[in-house]
Amino acid sequence: MAPPAEVLAVRGLSKTFPGVRALDDVDLTLHPGEVHALIGENGAGKSTLIKLLTGVHRPDAGDIVFQGSAVSFATPLDAQKAGISTIYQEVNLIPLLSVARNLFLGREPRNRVGLLDFPRMHREAEETLRAYGVRVDVRRPLRTLGVGAQQMVALARAVASEARIVIMDEPTSSLEPREVETLFSVIRRLRDEGIAVIYVSHRLDELYAVCDTVTVLRDGRRVHHGRLAELDRLSLVSTMLGRELGEVRAEGLTKFTGDHHATDAQPVLEARDLTVPHQLHGVSVSIRPGEVVGLGGLLGSGRTETAKAISGALATSAGSVTVAGVPLRGGSTPAAIRAGISLLPEDRKSEGIVPGLSVRENISLAVLPRLSRFGLVSEARVDSIVDTFIERLRIKASSPQQKVGELSGGNQQKVLLARWLAMNPKVLLLDEPTRGIDVGAKAEVQKLVDELAADGLGVLLISSDLEELIEGSDRVVVLKDGAVVGELTGDEVTEDKLMRTIAGHAPARDTVEEAATDG
Amino acid sequence: MAEATVRSVPLDRARILQWLQTYGVYAGVALLLVVNIVITPHFLSAENFRTQAVQVAPVIIVALGMALVIGTEGVDLSVGAVMALAASVTALYLGYGLLPALLVVAVFAAGVGLANGALVAFVGVQPIVATLALMVGGRGLALVLLPQLEDLRNPALASLGSGDVLGVPYLILIATVLALLVAFVVRRTTFGRQLLAIGDSRPAAQLAGLPVRRVLIVVYVVCALLAAVAGVLATARLQASDPTSLGNLMELSAITAVVVGGTPLTGGRVNIAGTVAGAVLIQLLTATLIKHDLPPSWTQIAQAIVIVCAVYAARGRGKR
Amino acid sequence: MHVLRLPSHLFSVTRIGVTMQRTTHRSRLLARPVVVALSAAVALTATSCAKSEDDASDSKPSSAAAADAGQKVVTPKPGSKSCTIDAYGGKKIDLKSATVGFSQSEKEANPFRIAETQSIKDEAAKRGVKLLTANAQSQFSKQISDVQDLLAKGADLLVIAPLNSDGWDPVLQAAAAKKVPIVTIDRKINATACKDYVSFIASDFVEQGRRAADRMIEATGGKGEVAILLGSAGNNVTTERTKGFKERIAEKAPDLKVVFEQTGDFAREKGQQVTEQLIQSKPGIKGIYAENDEMGLGAVAALKGAGKKAGDIKIVTVDGTRNAVQGVVDGWISGVIESNPRFGPLAFQTLDTFTQGKEVPQDIVIQDGAYDAGNAEQDLGKAY
Repeated sequence: MAPPAEVLAVRGLSKTFPGVRALDDVDLTLHPGEVHALIGENGAGKSTLIKLLTGVHRPDAGDIVFQGSAVSFATPLDAQKAGISTIYQEVNLIPLLSVARNLFLGREPRNRVGLLDFPRMHREAEETLRAYGVRVDVRRPLRTLGVGAQQMVALARAVASEARIVIMDEPTSSLEPREVETLFSVIRRLRDEGIAVIYVSHRLDELYAVCDTVTVLRDGRRVHHGRLAELDRLSLVSTMLGRELGEVRAEGLTKFTGDHHATDAQPVLEARDLTVPHQLHGVSVSIRPGEVVGLGGLLGSGRTETAKAISGALATSAGSVTVAGVPLRGGSTPAAIRAGISLLPEDRKSEGIVPGLSVRENISLAVLPRLSRFGLVSEARVDSIVDTFIERLRIKASSPQQKVGELSGGNQQKVLLARWLAMNPKVLLLDEPTRGIDVGAKAEVQKLVDELAADGLGVLLISSDLEELIEGSDRVVVLKDGAVVGELTGDEVTEDKLMRTIAGHAPARDTVEEAATDG
Repeated sequence: MAEATVRSVPLDRARILQWLQTYGVYAGVALLLVVNIVITPHFLSAENFRTQAVQVAPVIIVALGMALVIGTEGVDLSVGAVMALAASVTALYLGYGLLPALLVVAVFAAGVGLANGALVAFVGVQPIVATLALMVGGRGLALVLLPQLEDLRNPALASLGSGDVLGVPYLILIATVLALLVAFVVRRTTFGRQLLAIGDSRPAAQLAGLPVRRVLIVVYVVCALLAAVAGVLATARLQASDPTSLGNLMELSAITAVVVGGTPLTGGRVNIAGTVAGAVLIQLLTATLIKHDLPPSWTQIAQAIVIVCAVYAARGRGKR
Repeated sequence: MHVLRLPSHLFSVTRIGVTMQRTTHRSRLLARPVVVALSAAVALTATSCAKSEDDASDSKPSSAAAADAGQKVVTPKPGSKSCTIDAYGGKKIDLKSATVGFSQSEKEANPFRIAETQSIKDEAAKRGVKLLTANAQSQFSKQISDVQDLLAKGADLLVIAPLNSDGWDPVLQAAAAKKVPIVTIDRKINATACKDYVSFIASDFVEQGRRAADRMIEATGGKGEVAILLGSAGNNVTTERTKGFKERIAEKAPDLKVVFEQTGDFAREKGQQVTEQLIQSKPGIKGIYAENDEMGLGAVAALKGAGKKAGDIKIVTVDGTRNAVQGVVDGWISGVIESNPRFGPLAFQTLDTFTQGKEVPQDIVIQDGAYDAGNAEQDLGKAY
């Protein structure tokens, strides 16, 4: 079919930040009804491109032609008013306002005397959200909704404000599979209505499910563009990484090798009957040295809570944790850390990194007392540890003094891993270790998990990425509503089996009955 | 301030702000020095610099503690009250001699710091509210202990206030040593690093197993102790204990010095050199206006302008 | 002894407790005993083994030591208005059997307030009159409720040291309803004399400024540059003491120039700091007029610190506290103009005369003394 006139044409866009050429002569065209995948490793220039399109930054060179005329947005609000809406990875709505108020923020319906027309607002909000599969009381504060539902509200808001282009930056990172399906149906409806979508994601399945065209960025340049269907997965990955095809294929889609073998040794970690009111109902998990145990389940099934309860970050009302045969007392984070439990938290930005401190200080944060004498830090010992881990984990930073907040997500995650590895832990609890990080870093992290297990560490792996969970784990404990509903071992560790267990079709083993009695 | 207008070359705005945030306070001090050398008679004399330094020393000492507290994303409004408390306790126990009196002062100050720290760290009260309670209660206690100004004639106390070593007054020496000590603690000790981490991201620090509560309590105790030192020194200089007016509005002067010195109120960073320079900047500004006999309200307006400039410069950083 | 002073000061802590807990009546009731108990405990522990410098030697003399330190009335100017009980309304009573209520404005934390309250108490005791007292702790709303309390407790006569000049209507109406005569001391209230209140007794602050100027002219020989350490900004005492001083200088000694006016906020430390700046930038300064003793003593500390000798720079202050008069004795201060706080005798005298049905003046200006090198030593006992 003859393509309609383009809605967006970007020519020769460049942007330099102090010391970094973030974007270099990039072109991008977008037609009405096109769903365009924008991909690249972290630091490839995706965020910069989006920020230039939405008026957060101004380009050094190049033009943005939107609906036939050159534009230069001063603020994100200008861009939004003109018809370019953005949905960010983190929901940026107002948590204390009601769902309906959030949905209509800035364009509230008013009655004849100019006051907010709440009945109309609530009615329309409910109608709108129903189309997105969200059925809630729209008068409730937004924060009482789950993250997925909040994301849907953000999406509904973006679409409802008469956008011509909707930019989605990792929209599925906090969605459940069912919600992802709803999102896709919304995207298809947008396409039918002639709205263009720029879709940024690291999940290849999703890209192939909804996107028509693709632009691949690498090091600030456009290295590929065209129809997505004409580019198979491995080629896509190799284009992104800039590596030879054969090399990638040899390593498969995840970097897990399974080169580690659980020993028959005593469990290094035994958590028994962990109970947290309203959140966990007697969850038990044990991990042997050298074993990677996956925690499966949907959002809200209690995976994160289990990890936090084990590491002392969440107070339990009942249950016990034993590390290498020694019961853990006190239930505090420092006690758990001393015993050898390290938690890589799910929310890397707010609970993991200390953004204003340097790479060096972040890596040495937990281990600092061990590198100090009489409270005085031995800089030489810190340097040697920091250098060792920067090299071993291939952390890319301009120097150890660079602020962690300025690093890419993948490198931030590696810094956190380094922080814990420096402590010489016995058990690593990894909560979504590869979420929101680029493919290259993801592969490195996965490989590292294998290596660590091979070295005899016990690893608990939480991941929403099924592929990762299946390929990475020796055993998968499946949670549902805060209780264990099944356990997959050996050949049972497959996507199919996992889905069935979650859905409750094929109860695996007798653990289910156990859990059922107290859940 | 003025340097922004002087350098009106259209540089990158963010870079100007960055520069202002880091060096603005030093530039301000330099500017005031130059202006005063040109327009103020008798400014360029050792005696004058000595006067300015002696007057600013207590402010610097209080500001050091304040900088630490602000580094943890807190604030301590009770420093002025602690100064008053130190003054009245000094007067009350001076009969035993200076050293025993100072020990009792330290106990009282540590008590206030402990109360502040416990309220913040264990009860989870907002620092501004917790220290507000101690600000009111602390001065009340000071006045209960010593209801009115009392002249002190202890020779040891007098020499602490006006004595010197090779022409450098004790006050200046003490302030210098404390500033170096605090800077060292921030840069080189476990405690300093942990303090910054807690100020930058409390949840992350907690999950990293840092002793968050202990660090917070120690920070508030140190802040109170520093304020007590300042209170004793001011009392020694005055040779009178004046719990009614000593340390009035000191919390504001200290916060101003810290903020003007480039330490963000959002925590996670402590700039000790900047804090000292911030206190000096305000002192020079006040001195300039007094020496030229300008109305006192001008001093307040000038201070306000400096604060606005500092906050404006800090804003550029906060956004990143 | 500090321990002995405790009970009266505990009251101020009670107030602190209450101001912090202004939420509900219930929490107030609860908080009060807790806070009192706590602060009492701290204060007791702190003071039980305290040993201040003075404890060794004899304690400070009682503030009402000198018998002849009471106030004298400046002879009223002819034609000044007076007031009688018939004009005011109300009935004659015998002062001896009456209850007098006294409302103090600020906490007794400075010598002036201490001497003022003490003087009222001493005079009441001397005359055998029943006295009720209250202290507003510098909160005007509290002073209003204090006075209403005093009325409710049966005060027949009121002596008020007002914190503000305005806002007295509710109290005046309540007093008028009960026909209770009011005498205000040291600050006037904006109301009609002999209708809303009987008399106003105070010092003339402008006159104090003029007399300070006279002392300054005498001390400096009427030539040279002088500085003023102003009181707190926006305070009528500051404005009036400044006005009188400048008027008299302009009138009598045009060669004496005021070259420096900075506020010392009536506090010693601030007076010290400002004086340090002053003597740096204007080394030729001949005299310093401090609008209260505390700033003057701060100036003395600054001069000592700068290595000056007593008398190098002439200092004149206003108030007449003991420390300042001692400064005159020591030669650091050239003169202290008294602002007499001993309103007791005069206030009770006025009430006595009035309740007997005789005529009293509406504005009573009391006579302030002065201290200089000639009388300071022998009159030191009069200083408060």
